[in-house]
Amino acid sequence: MSALLEVSRLNKHFGGLHAVKDVSFTVERGEVIGILGPNGAGKTTVYNLLTGFIAPDAGSTVIFDGRPVLGLAPHRIAGLGISRTFQLCRPFVGLSVMENVIVGGLGPARDRSARLHDRAASLLQRVGLAGKAEVAVEVLSYGDQRRLEIARALAARPALLMLDEPFAGLGSAEIADLSTLIRQLHADEGLTVILIEHKLREFMRLVSRVIALDFGEVIAEGTPEQIVVHPAVIEAYIGRGNEGSVDAA
Amino acid sequence: MFGRRIDRLGVAAFVVFMALLPLVFPGNYLIGVLTVSVIYGIWAVSWDFMSGLTGRENFGHSLFIGVGAYTAGFMNTSFGLNGWWSLPAAMLVAMLFALLIGLPTLRLKGPYFALAMLSGAVIMQRLMLIFWEQTGGEEGINGLEPLIRSQLGFYYFALAALCAITALLALLARSHWGLILRAIKGDEATCQAAGINVTLYKIVSLIISAAFAGAGGAMYAHYQLQVSPQLFAVVTSITIITMVYVGGMGSIYGPVGGAILLVLLTELLRRFGEWRLMIYSVTLILILFFLPNGLIAPIWRRVRATWERRT
Repeated sequence: MSALLEVSRLNKHFGGLHAVKDVSFTVERGEVIGILGPNGAGKTTVYNLLTGFIAPDAGSTVIFDGRPVLGLAPHRIAGLGISRTFQLCRPFVGLSVMENVIVGGLGPARDRSARLHDRAASLLQRVGLAGKAEVAVEVLSYGDQRRLEIARALAARPALLMLDEPFAGLGSAEIADLSTLIRQLHADEGLTVILIEHKLREFMRLVSRVIALDFGEVIAEGTPEQIVVHPAVIEAYIGRGNEGSVDAA
Repeated sequence: MFGRRIDRLGVAAFVVFMALLPLVFPGNYLIGVLTVSVIYGIWAVSWDFMSGLTGRENFGHSLFIGVGAYTAGFMNTSFGLNGWWSLPAAMLVAMLFALLIGLPTLRLKGPYFALAMLSGAVIMQRLMLIFWEQTGGEEGINGLEPLIRSQLGFYYFALAALCAITALLALLARSHWGLILRAIKGDEATCQAAGINVTLYKIVSLIISAAFAGAGGAMYAHYQLQVSPQLFAVVTSITIITMVYVGGMGSIYGPVGGAILLVLLTELLRRFGEWRLMIYSVTLILILFFLPNGLIAPIWRRVRATWERRT
């Protein structure tokens, strides 16, 4: 079977800035992939390109599940089975927690026979928000908002889940809970996951393969063990006086 | 909205109250005021369905009202068609205008949609004057036939239309459709990430909103028995938006109450002569300042909560 996601020669210029340079990688079905890189490396831009929120330069190709997706509107790409979360949580303000998850399941992949409410309830159970289903989303803690983002993304029944810094702003206990959840989702449903993260310790335990970016380019690719000793990665981090991050792994 | 017993009771009380008012206080003056208030109710509720739910404020609702009214005017006077044809025709023409203006503007973010709608209404008002030979210019079109000869009969028809439209829009707002519209208000990007075609939902809801605004416009035309370019005036749109704010934006039933309340308030203040506008404006400012969620919907929520605690 072919790879779930094939990215080749992905490029993006913002005016004179070459934000993403010839990025190519593949993601196999059932893999958990990490995208690592210092701030400004282009990680979120890659996400926005893959999910249609930003149009890439000509010549880029992204094949998802055998279909080219570049140039499609974000909702069309989502409809093909790519669900994403945002670096800053973006819940539907004004809706309850339950309603947030239900809306996540109202896209084209919705199973009309299943009861959306029941499915949303079981997703909330799964991410540990069952007791807060009727709460207004604005009053959720940051950690709970992260969980909600994941429940909302899962409601669309994705084949590929793309998480943008899911651990950002969380305490260590919350990080442990959330990585357990991601691990379970991967183990139980064979969900393919891509993660962007800075928190190296948990991140490296979670992923099977890492793609390291710097200045919009892929500088290294390999297992977490290979990546932490890779000279280009060390240079990208240490070179910026960011020594704590790699040591933490 | 009609799921709970207290809501059904509230609706019944409202309908009975509105139906009995002209019987308890007979006279064509009151019937006229009530008819206008009910038609404003239709305009307010149709505005709220699109703009209240999605948060994309439409500053040119009078565009749909005006095209609906002029459609009625042309059909009834130039083509001599029976007045009842005006309603579906006005709805169709208003829907067409919503499609034409929604396609290019609803993709835009920020205030551009509001500005585009505002300009659309102003342009239509100008066009009515420029093509005066066809439209009658400032005079507009006169000599429309009434839909129902009896004033009271027409009032009851308008009240029934208001109830039917509000019930339909409230049901839609409670459905998954309405949930998606409210989610669009919450965060468009997240909607797209959930696979929802945000532009399509916004355009279709604008078309639905326009249809009822156009129907209200046709009813107004057949009530006034004439149409004029004033129907397109920006002040009409602003009045409707104010009614929705006073009623409670996004609640569907609130704006109906807001419209009726403000029309009646305007009439009650007539005795104050030239102080009228000042009292009206100060009242509005106080309501909007102290009650940012409006007046009608929050009061009703409180009534509902009290009722549910008791039972």
